[in-house]
Amino acid sequence: MTQTLALFMDAYRLLNARKIFWITLVLSLLVVSSFALVGIDDEGISIAWWDLGIPEINTGAGGYTKAWFYKTMFTSLGINIWLTWVATILGLVTTASIFPEFVTAGSIDIILSKPIGRFRLFLTKYTTGLLFVILQVSVFTGASFLVIGLRGGVWEPGLFIAIPLVVLFFSYLFSVCAVLGIITRSTIASLLLTILFWFMLFIVQSAEQSLMVFDMLVQQRVTAYEDAVERTRQRLETVEDPDDMERWGFLHETLEKREVSLAAAQGSSDNLETWHNGLLGVMTVLPKTGETIQLIERWTIDLAELPEMSGETSRPMISEDDQFTPDEEKLGKDIQDAIRNRSPWWILGTSLLFEIFILCIGAWRFQRRDF
Amino acid sequence: MQPCVAFGSLCNSMSSNGYVIDVHDVHKTYKKRIKALQGVDLQVGSGEIFGLLGPNGAGKSTLVKILMTVVRPDKIGGTFLGASVGQKEPLSKVGYLPEHHHFPGYLTGLQVIEFSGAMCGMPKRERRANAGKLLDRVGMTRWGSSRLNSYSKGMLQRVGLAQALVNDPKVVLLDEPTDGVDPVGRREIRDLLLELRDEGHSIFLNSHLLSELEMVCDRVAIMVQGRVSMQGTIDELTKDSKRYEIQVLGPCPAWIESHPDASVETVEAEARISIATDDPEAIQPIIDRLRNEGRSITRVHAVRDSLEELFMRAVVDESGNVAAPGAQIESRRGSGGDAP
Repeated sequence: MTQTLALFMDAYRLLNARKIFWITLVLSLLVVSSFALVGIDDEGISIAWWDLGIPEINTGAGGYTKAWFYKTMFTSLGINIWLTWVATILGLVTTASIFPEFVTAGSIDIILSKPIGRFRLFLTKYTTGLLFVILQVSVFTGASFLVIGLRGGVWEPGLFIAIPLVVLFFSYLFSVCAVLGIITRSTIASLLLTILFWFMLFIVQSAEQSLMVFDMLVQQRVTAYEDAVERTRQRLETVEDPDDMERWGFLHETLEKREVSLAAAQGSSDNLETWHNGLLGVMTVLPKTGETIQLIERWTIDLAELPEMSGETSRPMISEDDQFTPDEEKLGKDIQDAIRNRSPWWILGTSLLFEIFILCIGAWRFQRRDF
Repeated sequence: MQPCVAFGSLCNSMSSNGYVIDVHDVHKTYKKRIKALQGVDLQVGSGEIFGLLGPNGAGKSTLVKILMTVVRPDKIGGTFLGASVGQKEPLSKVGYLPEHHHFPGYLTGLQVIEFSGAMCGMPKRERRANAGKLLDRVGMTRWGSSRLNSYSKGMLQRVGLAQALVNDPKVVLLDEPTDGVDPVGRREIRDLLLELRDEGHSIFLNSHLLSELEMVCDRVAIMVQGRVSMQGTIDELTKDSKRYEIQVLGPCPAWIESHPDASVETVEAEARISIATDDPEAIQPIIDRLRNEGRSITRVHAVRDSLEELFMRAVVDESGNVAAPGAQIESRRGSGGDAP
């Protein structure tokens, strides 16, 4: 325990000595302060003393609540943009040097000559590397909790779920950075390769979500063509002498065209589903950075807090001139449901498995290496 | 302390009792070709200052790193503080200062020493008390609260030495401890090492400064290309080189050349007669004869090889070639070579 505490103390001293840590912390507090400047009441939104009077946001009875407003600001701006992008990049820049400096000749000799096993040393050092993000996100969430409580009138302890989730998100990237640091012994190389890896994750996740949206859209197209084919058939059944091609030839032609379009849409749907499932398989073995962060929104914002939707969903349609009109409201809801219904165990469990796998590689390398 | 003169592996049969370091047949090859250690046998007694010398790349640092578990040996036998080498437990009773040490610049001298103590598992109160005393002992009390990035190399060396001593170690391994230290500081470090020995600590020194080692070491070993070529007390190692030198004015007498143990050298107007013996009685007849011949004797003194001469003897092979620096490299075709 003494050794673990000493390593944590050393990590704190390292952060304390780095200006970027304090700059990030001050910026975090500025971001939270900006939340506090934004006010919301029945008359609309205000910034400090200025009433913006934005009519699109219904803040009156039956509209958006204060709690929803501040929590959305917290998740959308605070977490999704500030902590997951800006603060994470600053965090990686600050911590990328931890392992390359740790294994520098002359430094590693002293630490390895102490009565502490290499495996424990590696894991403890890795954990101390997360101290940057633990402190940053704790301060940010604590300050946001106060702002939402004081300004929004809602004391929402659920916000603190952001601390473990953001730390977990950062840990996926830091595990890669740490192992690259051990292997390459270069801060620049480990930082750049980690950012490249993160970008690759972003591409894979974006592609998966895009394919999911396309798939849903094509599903709507299939439904619309099925309806259109059915409608055309019914019409042909109801007409007098449907085999009179001179009179009803255009209906046969429309039916045939729609059946061809339906088959094409079904083919596209099958293809998209195959690709989507393939990408989902790839995603399963990779850390799910975006989805881990989305869990914060899932767990802090209850959909019931949103104002009632119009509830008027219409079936997707094929018009008489064969134009497809999707049901956008249903599409939006389906996407939201699909994302919200993904199992947290799948999101966090598989991501953690990836992290453990990467850390095992790092620990093995650290264990076997001569310094 | 049990004296041991080892040319090759004479010490193999010795019991490990009384030795804090007793390793046999240590082998280490880097990248499957660079033979850093090729069967090292080495013993360090309790409460002695032991010096390990050797040219660059001889394998000294590799051996120390193996003892400190920084490098994994290919093969090793023997013990370190009674336990197998590679085990972590004995390291709580070991202090270590590597050659090119690197302490984080954001720490103060006091924090470096305390951190080292904490990593040895020492309780806070004890390590804090020891850190203060050690700063005083290495003459760094005034600088204890300053960050290391404001230290000179000599100051870093002193703090490095203090951190190696924080856990009151039984064995202290120091790799070039006086590197970058001014002459006054070197003397202070030498005195500190002697004090530590008197307190019962065993000290293992790696150094290129032969004159300094000669002043403090009880025993030395000389490593050449991954092997220990000599090991023992300086007295034992230089026993064969003991001789008496007689300097006389004028040319060398002709009769001296027939003496089986004598060699002669003429320096300016003097002849220097060297008699290979450590027995003063053996030179009395020569002195008597020189006196009878009316020769003026200007100097008679007993000499032996210095550590530097011993070292040079160790690194020169039978054909007179100086061993190239660096470890042996096994070429891909199988013939040997030397690492740059």
